[in-house]
Amino acid sequence: MKLLLIEDDLELAKSLVERFREQGYVTDHVSDGTTGLREGLRGDYSAIIVDRMLPGMDGLELVRALRHERSTPVIYLTTMGGIDDRVQGLEAGGDDYLVKPFAFAELLARIRVMTRRTAQVSPKLSAGFIEMDLVQRTVVREGRPIVLTPQEFRLLEYMLRNADRLVTRKMLLESVWDIHFDPHTSIVESHLSRLRTKLNSGFEVDAIQTVRSVGYRLLASN
Amino acid sequence: MRYKPFEASDIGCLRPTRVIKSDVFRLAGLFALLFLALTGILVCTVLWIVEGAQRAAITSANDADISTILNGFRDEGLREAIEVIRQRLGSPSVRYVMRPDCYIVIQDERQQKLAGNLAALPVRLGVVTISRPDGSDRHLGSTPIVGRGIEITKGIYLFVGRDTKVLEATRERILQAFMWVVLGAFTIALAVGLYLGSRLMQRVDAIAQTCKSIAAGRLDERIPVLGRQDEWDRLAEAINEMLHRISALLENLRQVSSDVAHDLRTPLARMRNRLEEARAKSTNVSDYSAAVGTAIDDTDQLLTMFAALLRISQVEAGARLETFSTVSLSDVLENIYQMYLPVAEDCQHLITSAIEEDIYVRGDAELLTQMFSNLVENAIRHTPEHTRIHIALRRENGSIEASIADDGPGVDPGEREKVLRRFYRASSSRSMEGNGLGLALVVAITELHHAKLTLSDANPGLQVKSAFPNNWDE
Repeated sequence: MKLLLIEDDLELAKSLVERFREQGYVTDHVSDGTTGLREGLRGDYSAIIVDRMLPGMDGLELVRALRHERSTPVIYLTTMGGIDDRVQGLEAGGDDYLVKPFAFAELLARIRVMTRRTAQVSPKLSAGFIEMDLVQRTVVREGRPIVLTPQEFRLLEYMLRNADRLVTRKMLLESVWDIHFDPHTSIVESHLSRLRTKLNSGFEVDAIQTVRSVGYRLLASN
Repeated sequence: MRYKPFEASDIGCLRPTRVIKSDVFRLAGLFALLFLALTGILVCTVLWIVEGAQRAAITSANDADISTILNGFRDEGLREAIEVIRQRLGSPSVRYVMRPDCYIVIQDERQQKLAGNLAALPVRLGVVTISRPDGSDRHLGSTPIVGRGIEITKGIYLFVGRDTKVLEATRERILQAFMWVVLGAFTIALAVGLYLGSRLMQRVDAIAQTCKSIAAGRLDERIPVLGRQDEWDRLAEAINEMLHRISALLENLRQVSSDVAHDLRTPLARMRNRLEEARAKSTNVSDYSAAVGTAIDDTDQLLTMFAALLRISQVEAGARLETFSTVSLSDVLENIYQMYLPVAEDCQHLITSAIEEDIYVRGDAELLTQMFSNLVENAIRHTPEHTRIHIALRRENGSIEASIADDGPGVDPGEREKVLRRFYRASSSRSMEGNGLGLALVVAITELHHAKLTLSDANPGLQVKSAFPNNWDE
């Protein structure tokens, strides 16, 4: 997998390139918008990480221009944590948005989710022995039906779509509850512990793996 | 356009050059010119009509004389005609005292003058204008003569004419009158222009003066409203409203900066202490890593505080207003209820709800979610175990009331106003984690939605009620 990092903060870029390398990604780094767009259009990248404010060409403009020709997944890195900035970024054609400063694990998890193969359009999702019917709104584990609340259903749906990938607390808050701020209580933990209890009751294997202080991973291989 | 700073001397004095440069004065000048042009056209028309009438009068007088002479000629022949002419022009003795009002010449085929007070003329028939009758009577003026020439019989040419002195005199008089009118109009236009210009300048100067004093730092200055309800008052009111908003924002900014400076010191100092301690005492990797871990937690806390401040100021700036839409408050609160149900359970709290369906407000769903989420989280975090939290939404007396109530220890009446302030933390919650910004954000979001926030005693406990304007059910 090859990534393109368009970032003018050289120190941050250096550290990101290094950490991506540790994770097995090859990363090309450019530090201005114009070159970034040229590289993005020319190279065959799995994902593009772009800073919102860049010399040469602003991040939004870059993504808009890129979208005319390419559908490479794009994630913005930005200090502009404003309420509207996120909307603008996504409207310009970006796929995700991460406000600086951020934990590297968060960025990595988001890139992995972004670069998954196109989501199946089938009305059924499954991972391991868990099956979800999106039309009937039912969940079955090894033939046994599991009753979930609407919010638990959405939580499981998101985890099924990203089975075997790490999803962070923040990603869950954003995609399941549409919450873009940092709550002071353990919303994700509380819901997840209930979901886990319901999924696991009567089974030996825990379907959800907790990655301490980062997030969770739904295991498809059991 | 380049900004040209105005000088102090520009304000407060009404130098004529400033007035002349003013817009109203220019407009007055323009109108004066337009008036001049119209008057010019009018004068030309009058001249044309008057001159036409006068020429017609001259021609008919000439024709009357001609017919008298012709009558004489027809009755008694050429000699009689000459006699009639002589009588018409008066006797020589009288001639020098009283000038005849007309000019006549009668001449034979050899262009020899037979009688009259003009020299012989080249034969021209019909209406003829003679510009300068050379060799004619020395009493004749220099103005052209308009007359008619006819051949009364073979070779005998008669010319009767009158001079155009009267035409010139009339023209002169009309032009003179025109001059006076123009002079008067210009003077009036100038005076009115100067007067209006200076009046305008006074109002403009009042505004400029206020702007200047605001620029100099006196932010509470306002443009005087004269109460005339005119366009200037409306402008002044609009500007004052803007100034009011700006000064409120500035005051807000000032407050925030000083709060931030003050409240950041504490966590930064704590972090520094911990790091220093780690450097002095740590001996192995795990000690260091623990110290780094707490330092990261500390910075995260600071960053959260910054994010919260940023959000508050963005909400206060009102930038979100543009994206307001119809939001189902029922859905927002139901979502909050569902979201916090397991959280409350885990914290040994009981959460209940009474949410009326299909209640809508104009607003921003994301902000409203954050607002109620902050309130519910406060209720969960600042109350002991087994506290009941109740989320309610209902229509009440034409407004929409959303309330989050708990039966915990409540907030002292004296502290209810204060807890809404930025960074303020009630004495009972100082030991708890938090930055004192949650309720400040709630305040900002309610204000953005024109809702009214009240904290009251829930007997026991605290009830936070927000009353939204009801724009749907009337």
